[in-house]
Amino acid sequence: MAEQTYFEDVSEGQELPEIKISPDKQQLVKFAAGSGDFNPLHFDENFPMLKPMGLTENIVHGRFKYAQVGRLVFGFAGYQGRVKKFGVQYRGMDKLNQPIIAKGIVTAKRQESGENLVDLDVWTENAEGKKNTPGTATVALPSRS
Amino acid sequence: MADDFEITDEMKAQIGQETEPWTYEVTTTGVRMYARGIGSTDPVHYDVDFAKKQGFRSIVAPYGFLGTPVFHPDTNDGTFGFPRRAGGPRLNLPFKGLLDGGTETEYFDVICAGDVLEETSHLADIKARGNMVFLTNESVYKDKASGKVVAKQRLTSIHM
Repeated sequence: MAEQTYFEDVSEGQELPEIKISPDKQQLVKFAAGSGDFNPLHFDENFPMLKPMGLTENIVHGRFKYAQVGRLVFGFAGYQGRVKKFGVQYRGMDKLNQPIIAKGIVTAKRQESGENLVDLDVWTENAEGKKNTPGTATVALPSRS
Repeated sequence: MADDFEITDEMKAQIGQETEPWTYEVTTTGVRMYARGIGSTDPVHYDVDFAKKQGFRSIVAPYGFLGTPVFHPDTNDGTFGFPRRAGGPRLNLPFKGLLDGGTETEYFDVICAGDVLEETSHLADIKARGNMVFLTNESVYKDKASGKVVAKQRLTSIHM
């Protein structure tokens, strides 16, 4: 993990260091095992449900993309910070072996109940820059003082 | 444009219906498996000594992971692993298609390996858009040892 980020160092409009991953089938099988979601939609190209859903190939779990946003916000909060909440909507599908890039931007800084809170817009986008998984997050950061 | 699917009073009455509690285990192996699944290389998810040096109780559950529901073939879904249990909403929606609409998690503590959580869920919202129904379920996760709520997670499913 990168160095700890402090509340004083953050400004509105600041971009978070992005996380990029292009999950192959093995990666999604690992995610199936880790998450307990063994829906064949994500790893079996002969799964009969693909066709009725208008798909010709497997798609990435929404929760996999959510977890990439989780990595993004935890990376920003650092070990001394705390992720207070993060949420996304699944608006578009991502196919295997295509880049999924988790990104975020600071939208507000505020102090509440003794905590230094930072609000974020977060999302994953594909290679074309389409935001398939938009959402928001709030983290608490430590102070230098 | 077709009329919105009708949400009946009977369906709305299911909002708030609580399930029975279910146990979710956060184990060291479970945390590492999930961390591998998301492609993380952060040692705080793998190395117990390292995580303790950073001030955590043990390796940290990656954000998005709230443990694994205790599984038994008689009670849990074979594909998704989630528990089939008493209580909770009974909607009988006339749809076959199902999509994941979104996930939101609110954290009140860091979740670490060794934690045992007790989860209950309820239907928080139901609404129609065209011939699709959006259900939002909220799960509340309590730490079994302390009884403290450690996380709330809202899942939206789209039925069509």
